[in-house]
Amino acid sequence: MHPDVTREVTIETTGLSRSYETYKKPEGLLKSIEGFWKRETIQKVAVHPTTLTVYRGQIVGLVGSNGAGKTTLLKLLSGLIYPSAGTTKVLGYDPHERRPEFLRRVSILLGQKAQLWWDLAPADSYELLAKIYEIDSAVARSRVRELADLLACTEQLHVQLRRLSLGERMKMEIIGALLHRPEVLFLDEPTIGLDIIAQTKIREFLGEYVKVERPTVILTSHYMDDISLLADRLMLISHGKIVYDGTVEAFTAKSELRQTLSLKLVHPPMQDVTLRHDFKISAGTRSVRFEMPAQWIADVLGELMALSPVYDIKIEEVEFEDVIRSFMEQDARLRAAGHSPTA
Amino acid sequence: MLGCARLAILQQLEYRFNLIADTVIQPVIVGLVELTLWAAFFHSTGNQTLNGFSREYYLSYAVWAAFVSRISTSWMYESMMIEDIENGTVNSILVRPISFYEYYLGQFFGYKVFTTLLSLGAPVAVCLFADLPLVISRLPLTLGLVFFYLLLVHTMSVAIASLGFFFSRIHHITVAKNITLWMLTGELFPLDLAPEPFRSILIALPFSSAVYRPVGYLTGRLELNTITEGFLSISLGLLVATVVATALWNAGRRRYSGTGA
Ligand SMILES: Nc1ncnc2c1ncn2[C@@H]1O[C@H](COP(=O)(O)OP(=O)(O)OP(=O)(O)O)[C@@H](O)[C@H]1O
Ligand SMILES: [Mg+2]
Repeated sequence: MHPDVTREVTIETTGLSRSYETYKKPEGLLKSIEGFWKRETIQKVAVHPTTLTVYRGQIVGLVGSNGAGKTTLLKLLSGLIYPSAGTTKVLGYDPHERRPEFLRRVSILLGQKAQLWWDLAPADSYELLAKIYEIDSAVARSRVRELADLLACTEQLHVQLRRLSLGERMKMEIIGALLHRPEVLFLDEPTIGLDIIAQTKIREFLGEYVKVERPTVILTSHYMDDISLLADRLMLISHGKIVYDGTVEAFTAKSELRQTLSLKLVHPPMQDVTLRHDFKISAGTRSVRFEMPAQWIADVLGELMALSPVYDIKIEEVEFEDVIRSFMEQDARLRAAGHSPTA
Repeated sequence: MLGCARLAILQQLEYRFNLIADTVIQPVIVGLVELTLWAAFFHSTGNQTLNGFSREYYLSYAVWAAFVSRISTSWMYESMMIEDIENGTVNSILVRPISFYEYYLGQFFGYKVFTTLLSLGAPVAVCLFADLPLVISRLPLTLGLVFFYLLLVHTMSVAIASLGFFFSRIHHITVAKNITLWMLTGELFPLDLAPEPFRSILIALPFSSAVYRPVGYLTGRLELNTITEGFLSISLGLLVATVVATALWNAGRRRYSGTGA
């Protein structure tokens, strides 16, 4: 957590939930004709009742698998969609009322969807945004120049948006989202689909930006580097429920410390072998790689060395990303077995 | 609002072909067809006048009806609104401090003012050249009524576009609506030619302000009272349309899912 996070509440929800209404598409012609008159609607819960508090200046990393409800939660908090139940206060406003005073102080970037005008050059889009947000146009221009400098995209400011590459466009979208100096920033996958260099650039830029301007941020990403480098608070969401909420460090510590053991066998086994803890080696295998809790390493290594001389031994810490993955896999298994997720 | 008007003009300069089609090709073709029909009518019946007005009055009516109806019909912006709601482009308006209504009204008016100024010279020139009846001093009030009517057009468009929150592929509603209006506005023929009781009903409806009232006034067929009545009837229509559009919009927003992101 940032040292200077004040305990001023910026985002607060109680029992906030949202379900989408979809209808079952019937199979076959006859059923489809029947479906023309009466549609069987299904309520799909995207966000289960959620109660959370975010303090001013926090950078929250929201992580979850596809369809977990991340985007839906951000849409709710930014007022883009109505909640099905529950209450929300962001900066003291009810987001879905779309009060101009509220909208002028927040911003949402949807990485999967262009928000600037497709047919205009970004510079023209920003001019229009300046009017919408009632920013003096000279002030807006200098802000654009400053942000474009940092993102190294000054050259593309006057090129029609539709002619820009994905990475260039994302930088333009970011400038558009930050133009009015939002106090609260919702970033939904700001690095989606970008190459490593562009990802790093945007990540560095955002890291610098939040240090200087101190907005409250909720960030989603499938790239764990974004989360581990930018966020000071981690929220895991699974099937519409927040299943973990704490610091990144505490999360890594809480999950059992796991390591990977990899090595090569001088004499590959002649038939399939099963080791302790149910690790298996099939006949003829030379390279072995197992992931396990740290305290098993000695056991397993001993057994392997009894089997054959070994070389190329490596023992590695499991990355944050792997921890998240195993957490999710575990969560999915529990879910399939009918257990409720652990908080 | 002015920013949005500017946006419209910037975008339209981008879609050059559409702009030319809308301001030049369409009114010219429609105008020629209607001119031919009226010329043929007077020629074949051998009449000198119809309902007390000479052939020239009808020809001038045809020229201006083509021009004015082009202003007072909304195809493009209504389709754009529907599309934006259906594919989720509306998201970028909803998260910003501007209303959907204003955002599109600014663009719609910007576009209409721009194209009107661009093409106004043509019907004036035709009337002067062919010596057709035209009271040019009535032009400001005529355009004033047409642009006030555009508020009603826009509000109806917002109501229709709001249906996009509930159903997909609703473009055909625009087609059905515009064809209906085409018969109600007086683009086809001056509404006072219709038999009673249709005549009174058609004239009383606000849609008569789209073509019949302004063109009738401008070409000397009608007098000032038609304009004042027009403003009144549009105001009533606007009241109804606003109630309907607000209800549909609010209900749609409630079930909107922020499509596409
Ligand atoms: N417009 C919609 N209509 C019906 N169901 C929807 C709609 N949008 C999302 N959903 C469903 O709601 C759930 C949550 O979706 P959401 O977009 O919030 O997930 P997400 O965590 O952002 O996933 P991703 O990582 O793929 O972006 C999903 O199961 C999805 O199928
Ligand atoms: Mg998403």
